[in-house]
Formats: sequence, C-alpha cells, structure tokens
Amino acid sequence: MIKTLFLPLAAAAALAFAPLAQAANTASDSFAKAPPAAPYKAVSSLVKLPDFIPGLGQLYVDPSTLPAGPFLAYDHDGKLVSTIYMIPLANMKPDMHIKDLASPGGKVDHVDIMYNAGHPGVEEPHIHIVLWHIPADQESRLAK
Amino acid sequence: MSTLIDTRRRTFLQTGAGMILLALARGRSAHAADPIEIAMQGTPTGARVWFRPRGLLIQPGQTVRWTNHDAGNSHTATAYHPSNHGKPLRIPRGAAPWDSGYLMPGESYEVTLTTPGVYDYYCVPHEFAGMVGRIVVGEPDADAQALRQESDPKLSAATREGFPDTALILKDHRVD
Repeated sequence: MIKTLFLPLAAAAALAFAPLAQAANTASDSFAKAPPAAPYKAVSSLVKLPDFIPGLGQLYVDPSTLPAGPFLAYDHDGKLVSTIYMIPLANMKPDMHIKDLASPGGKVDHVDIMYNAGHPGVEEPHIHIVLWHIPADQESRLAK
Repeated sequence: MSTLIDTRRRTFLQTGAGMILLALARGRSAHAADPIEIAMQGTPTGARVWFRPRGLLIQPGQTVRWTNHDAGNSHTATAYHPSNHGKPLRIPRGAAPWDSGYLMPGESYEVTLTTPGVYDYYCVPHEFAGMVGRIVVGEPDADAQALRQESDPKLSAATREGFPDTALILKDHRVD
C-alpha cells in the first residue's frame, strides 16, 4: 500500500505541496505554532505512536502526503522545530525523482539524514530527512 | 493437541494505578510463576529495533510477557499464522495464534503457551527490519523444520536472518 501511495509521489508532490510553496521562506502563522492548520493532523491521531517522540517532537502531517510527508515537528511549547520527510529505502531506485518538496517551516538551519527501521505509518525501513529550523545546540529540548 | 492461550494487556508502570497493579501482580506471583520477560527495544533514533531475548526456551504452561521499553516507538508481538495478516504458519499446527496489537511505550502483553513446539513471531511495523523472535516450548514439534523450509522464501532476508537458531536456543535457553 505504501508503494502504491508513493509511486506517483513525484507527480503528486507538485500539486499537493503547491499551496505550501508560498510559505517556503518563512513559517506562516499556520505552521509556526502547534497545531498547524488543516489538513494537517497529529500523527498520534492517525497511527499508534506516542504523541511526543523523543528526539523528534510532536508530529503533524497531511495524511494525503503519506508516507513522504512533510511532517511538521513541534517542541513541548508548541514551537515548530523541524520539517521531516520519510522516504522508504525500497523507493530509492534509479527512476526515483522527487522535486519541489516544500519546506513550510521556513528557514532551514541545518539538515539531518538518518536511517529508521520503521514505525506505524511507514512500516518499512526508510530515511528521515530532517530540516531543522532551530540551531543544533537547541535540539536537546526534544530529548524527552 | 489443543492449546490454551491466556492473554492480558495492561498499561505498565506509568501511573500510580500502574504501580498498584504491579504490587497486586507481585502479590499474585507468590502463588504463580512469574512471566518470562521479553523486552521490545530500540535505539533513540529508531535506526535499530529488537526483541530481547530474541530466542527463548520455556516449558509448556509458562507465560511470556512482552513489554515495550522503546520511548519513541510502538511495537507488536504477533505470531506467524495465516490469521495474522496472511502470514505463513510458523507455530505448531493446532496451536492458537496471538497478536498483541500495537503496544505503546510502557504497555505489556502476556501469552501462556502450552503446546510444545517452535513458535516464531514478529513486530508488525518492524518485520522488514528483522525484529522477529522465536520461542521453543519444551521441544521442537515434528513439523518445525518443514514449516520453516516451506515459508522461508516468503520472508525477506533480514527477517530470516533475525531468527535465532533453534539448536542454539535449546542449548543456551536464551539468545539475546
């Protein structure tokens, strides 16, 4: 099912994220504070995951963009801290071409790319691409 | 041979009520064998996930308890059985399957196994990552090897490699 959703991603992304592209440079009020405006929903309301994930924060996503995202991550104070994409390893093939993904959180401070074994919602090994909107030395506030 | 499987699920240790339940459970344990613990664990980034122990030898009638110790993820303990998502049969013929459902951090799930044989199980969101386990109850059933030879091709390489060797379980009783 994930593969079925993902295959048309490149084509769908341009349409799905077009409204978000306008907010690419600065986080709009719709995204800066939790909860973000519809169609975003708390990930914990969609799949069986903790509401706050240590290291990542409280996640929201537009379900129509699963599994890639973007996922919007917030700290305990409801402040946007990162935008995350989740790309299944199985889709990393020569014909994969994803472009023009929006960064609705605005300015990106730095980027982490890390392997994830899977979790409800993206139930296969995949890559987390984390666009941090806060400095690296402030990530510790998401530790617990 | 029939199998009696008793399953219970509860939130674990997170609240005062949980502590009271734990105290009651400990009181009960004075008259019953304690469940054998299997931890569901993972690295903080979610890069690696596992059952510990992943291989276990128990005796018929003993209870196994899985507890999710992974603060950032949810896990399941799900028997390989056609009734669980169409998976191949990798528990003794006639034994009842189980599926814990998703366990959130701190939650646990128990199963009592009475039919001798080899039981393979997996974590639904992490099967492809090799989060699988094997329990031998008493001794291997007559079909154990044939069932695995038949179904191995249906599993991913990472999944197959995640199972501890049955002979090693029989020798060491516990394989981490």
